[in-house]
Amino acid sequence: MSTAFDIPAGTAVGKSTPKLENREKVTGRAEYIDDLYRPGMLHAAILGSPYPHARILSYDVSEALAAPGVVGVITGDDVPDGRMGAFIKDEHALAKGKVLYLGEPVAAIAAETLEQARAAVNLIIVDYEELPAVLSPEEGLAPDAPILHEKLKDYIKVFDAGSEGNLCSRTELTEGNVDAAWDRCAVIVEDEFETEPQAHVSLEPCGALAEVDAQGRVTLWSANQSVFRVQANVCESLQIPMSKLRSLTPRVGAGFGNKMEPHIQPITVALAMKTGRPVKCILTREEDFEIVRARHPFKIRMKTGADAQGRLIARDCEVLLDCGAFADDSPGVLGYALLMSGGPYRIPNQRARGKLVYTNKLRFGAYRGFGNPQVSFAGEQQIDEIAQKLGLDPIEIRRRNMLHEGDGWFVGPKIASNGLARCIDAVEAASGWRKGLQPPATPGTRRGKGIAVSAHISGLLGTGAIVRMLEDGTIALNTGATDIGQGSDTVLAQICAEALKLPVEMVSVASPDTDGSPYNWGTTASRVTYTTGRAVAGAAREVLRQAMEHASEMLDTPVEDLELREGGRIAVKGSNEDLPFAAISGRAHWAKGGPIVGHHTLVFDEPTHDPKRSIALGLPFPQIGVFSFGALIVDVEVDEVTGQTRVVEAWSAVDVGRAINPRLVEVQIEGGFVQGMGFALYEAMVWDGPRLVNPSLMDYKIPTSADTPHVHSIIVEDPEPNGPFGAKGAGEIGLNPVPAAIANALSAAIGGRARKVPMTPERVLNQLLEGGDAA
Amino acid sequence: MSFVVSPTSVDEAIAFLVDNPEARPMSGGASLVAMKNARLIEASHFVSLARIDSLRGIRRNADGSVTIGGMVPHRDTAACDLLDGDLRMIRQAAGQIANRVVRNMGTIGGAVANADPAADYLPVLVCADAQVEITGPGGKRLLPIRDYLVDWYETALEPAEIVTGIALPPAGSGPSVYRKLARTPGDFATVSVACARDGDGVRVAVGACGPAPLRAPEAERALAGQLDDPAAVAAFCEALVALADPVDDVRGSAEYRLTLIPRMVAAAIRDVTGGL
Amino acid sequence: MAGKEVFALRINGREREVFARSDATLLEVLRDDLALRAAKRGCNQGVCGACTVLLDGVPVRGCLTLAGACTGREVTTLEGLAEDPITRALQETMIVSGGVQCGFCTSGMLVTARDLVAQTVTPTEGDIRKALSGNLCRCTGYVRIVEAVTDAVVALSQANTDTREAIQ
Repeated sequence: MSTAFDIPAGTAVGKSTPKLENREKVTGRAEYIDDLYRPGMLHAAILGSPYPHARILSYDVSEALAAPGVVGVITGDDVPDGRMGAFIKDEHALAKGKVLYLGEPVAAIAAETLEQARAAVNLIIVDYEELPAVLSPEEGLAPDAPILHEKLKDYIKVFDAGSEGNLCSRTELTEGNVDAAWDRCAVIVEDEFETEPQAHVSLEPCGALAEVDAQGRVTLWSANQSVFRVQANVCESLQIPMSKLRSLTPRVGAGFGNKMEPHIQPITVALAMKTGRPVKCILTREEDFEIVRARHPFKIRMKTGADAQGRLIARDCEVLLDCGAFADDSPGVLGYALLMSGGPYRIPNQRARGKLVYTNKLRFGAYRGFGNPQVSFAGEQQIDEIAQKLGLDPIEIRRRNMLHEGDGWFVGPKIASNGLARCIDAVEAASGWRKGLQPPATPGTRRGKGIAVSAHISGLLGTGAIVRMLEDGTIALNTGATDIGQGSDTVLAQICAEALKLPVEMVSVASPDTDGSPYNWGTTASRVTYTTGRAVAGAAREVLRQAMEHASEMLDTPVEDLELREGGRIAVKGSNEDLPFAAISGRAHWAKGGPIVGHHTLVFDEPTHDPKRSIALGLPFPQIGVFSFGALIVDVEVDEVTGQTRVVEAWSAVDVGRAINPRLVEVQIEGGFVQGMGFALYEAMVWDGPRLVNPSLMDYKIPTSADTPHVHSIIVEDPEPNGPFGAKGAGEIGLNPVPAAIANALSAAIGGRARKVPMTPERVLNQLLEGGDAA
Repeated sequence: MSFVVSPTSVDEAIAFLVDNPEARPMSGGASLVAMKNARLIEASHFVSLARIDSLRGIRRNADGSVTIGGMVPHRDTAACDLLDGDLRMIRQAAGQIANRVVRNMGTIGGAVANADPAADYLPVLVCADAQVEITGPGGKRLLPIRDYLVDWYETALEPAEIVTGIALPPAGSGPSVYRKLARTPGDFATVSVACARDGDGVRVAVGACGPAPLRAPEAERALAGQLDDPAAVAAFCEALVALADPVDDVRGSAEYRLTLIPRMVAAAIRDVTGGL
Repeated sequence: MAGKEVFALRINGREREVFARSDATLLEVLRDDLALRAAKRGCNQGVCGACTVLLDGVPVRGCLTLAGACTGREVTTLEGLAEDPITRALQETMIVSGGVQCGFCTSGMLVTARDLVAQTVTPTEGDIRKALSGNLCRCTGYVRIVEAVTDAVVALSQANTDTREAIQ
């Protein structure tokens, strides 16, 4: 299959190069947002709302302003009426007029020390008129429900959201004729499923540092997944021209969607503008739980039918999503979840509908998987149930129905590369999967294996790269993509090095800077390797073109008689005569044509929706991306006394097109598995009425090294035709199938069916006692 | 004066606490500083007990009883060979508290003073009929742990008193076991069970199902000699369930805890009877 | 500033004078007053382990240790272990294994792992997983961190053998 670069990997691609910044991390010298200090810097503290829904009547900040060390206070009166948001612009920098969830920032203080800021924050007096609260999507849709956003109709929206009342958005996708298809089904399964909210728990809490210069221009450092989304959000909410704000990034202590859209940046900038001093604001772990964002709770009703041979005929999926107080990335999550609700199968008749409803809770938003793990939990269990009813092996039914290269995905996107079959083969072989043959359980436990498969896109929205050849022939790469620890700086350097046949050490990677980097929507949607990688390859190609022109003059040889050789040399074909980049670039800085600078920008531009085959209403992504595929088998053990489930071993194979850096792909698979395992087994944010009761790592538990299994990560490579060296994304797909695979394994171990995530010991014990031995 | 003082004797520490009623004694700090960081407690001073040598060490007394010094970290208790037989469950419990690093910090005195109902030490100490050695302005007193634990997070500690040690009866031949269900390793228990073989019977204490570990001495006596009778074990478990006063929290519902008590207790009895 | 006082701490082998509240945490003093920022604040509750440092050679949580209780004791941070052979071996294997992702947990992870390797001759995978269970990592799924520790143990024992052979 032809790829963007038909060069066999040699120099850089396909090698597990250690990440470029690892040494600074193992010596403790990497600087994260909380490690940055500026002269005269103030520290900030935030006052949260005590009510889930209330009108703000007045503020009295006099006592707080008089407190020791306090330099400035801001309230909703200090911020303009600008609203920000990725899909629907519904959010102020700071609560203004109303508060919409308990804990929502209503005021903030900058003081000489953090202690002083925290001590003074409680001296701010806010007078509220409490309003009735909406605490569930069902309540929000009730005819007499209190309305959160009275001006929802007037908000700017980037797609046809259908917003009304507390309905933030709705999406409906249809292909074939679902209602007419059930009659042709030999087997139909139907059920309801629920998933609970998961917290991202990046080890680094969110934070920001802002400074205003003498010209009134703002410099902002923050923990982020996109310096450009930070810039856009701050400027929209504070009504600052984008040219007046420079957004930068230190090292980022991971982001799983939580740092994609704004957290504390607008408030920090507002404080810096108010005080004229640098201000740093770092959230406590508790605040990070309470005011950033989380994975959506889903309510799913799903119905799937197949013929007697197990060929899928129809699926109907209906979801109800809690949006929280602000739209954030939620409309995207709804649309994407519905798009993925059929799974990687040929299903001729499919319908997926969903509603997203505002509630008086923390905003829900992007989280690794973006709605896919939730719908997969339902969908992949139903595939197993159909197999069970027909006496088919779970792997066999998946093979019979899976999509192939050249097929269209639900509503239209074309699938170019598809390594799903090889992923299934790989996990089947590695795990020793055999129908009906389960490994022996230790006494007092029951044991079972389960499988789930998944697909995920990589793509979306704008990206770019600038590649400059320096005078000595080394390369400066600048993409604007924030490396959040997954290693994109390294991967992009490898792509650049490969394209120019240079050792990777010859390529430097610029830290994202809105002043100097080309636009990059963000480190999200499993997209950087694929989309930014394409931009890097394109920019490198342009560099090569320019270098060839200079070399042509220098060697007095037409360009078509020149070739690029290993080590960054341009040579006369069939001859030993060549020039190193250093000579070419050195001359270019003085000669006609000028210094060698290549750039390339793109958006993923193939349409999501094919109107000839389907109907789509409220689809938030007109162009979406290319598809990665994965298969996962888990071996679980259930304690018969308590119902506690332990994953003994896991085998996860992912088709990433081409692994630019195999080790970094493996770590994505392994890390994604473990994060998915926490979601599947015990992670859940719990609200008591409007109050989040477990906003701490004491009360909210994430997986440790001692309760996680060895994860066997397997890379499958089915090159994507237009991917850089065939690569496509790897960031999310490893997480998607985890709850479903564990649920299927549980069913094999104890019978019954899991309908809720997390599958806590309590729920599993009930399943064991009730469902009991059905299998 | 400094906010942290580090006396070198118990008397000095108590004198300071008497003079400064808003001061708090601090052992390893593992729970206390976490609470301070969360702004759940305030104190005029923190009186570190870390430099009081008399609070260190685990020793066997002439009568065979064992005393664990109040400042003995969980790491040392978890590795102590003196805790064998029917005291072995104490090692098991100590080894399951939090994690390797926090076990270097946290101490038995601090844990008993804090008296978190879901903490690991309480059920094993109640099961072992431990006594709490308390020292205060009035001198030293020994209190059976069941009398020491008064209510949710409430103990018999008076102002300016500190837990200076834990006294354990001479080790019996056992065996004993500590069974814990927790969401992840190192979490507080959802439910925990301590069980020690005692002649032809057992002693059993259940943690995290009420303000203090559940213990049913009469039912234990009734069960003696009938450990292999499922009906007798079931009746015994029911007696413990009847004592339970669990809450709904993030670790599990009250109902689940009530379901777990008989299941975990029966399993623990099987552990110490070798499946009679 | 209210309640601040001057006191001395012995940190990474040097006597350092600090001006801070004695009930500030060791983590605060290290980061804010001494600019030793390898130890991170991930939770301030002692759960995540990113602030793990050595006190008299024993790993503790910087966030659960009051600075005023550390006078006269030896505090060692990751910066102070730069020449420690076990730490260096772990750093090298972490660099190549993939055990470093965002890096926020890495400093604390290394301090705990170093203690395990120093105390245990040949830790098994189970030993390593148990020992590191108080150092949370949200990125890697732990597989490559465990591998890095295993590889470091092998490298160290190889180095020991080489040294012994050289001496003989």
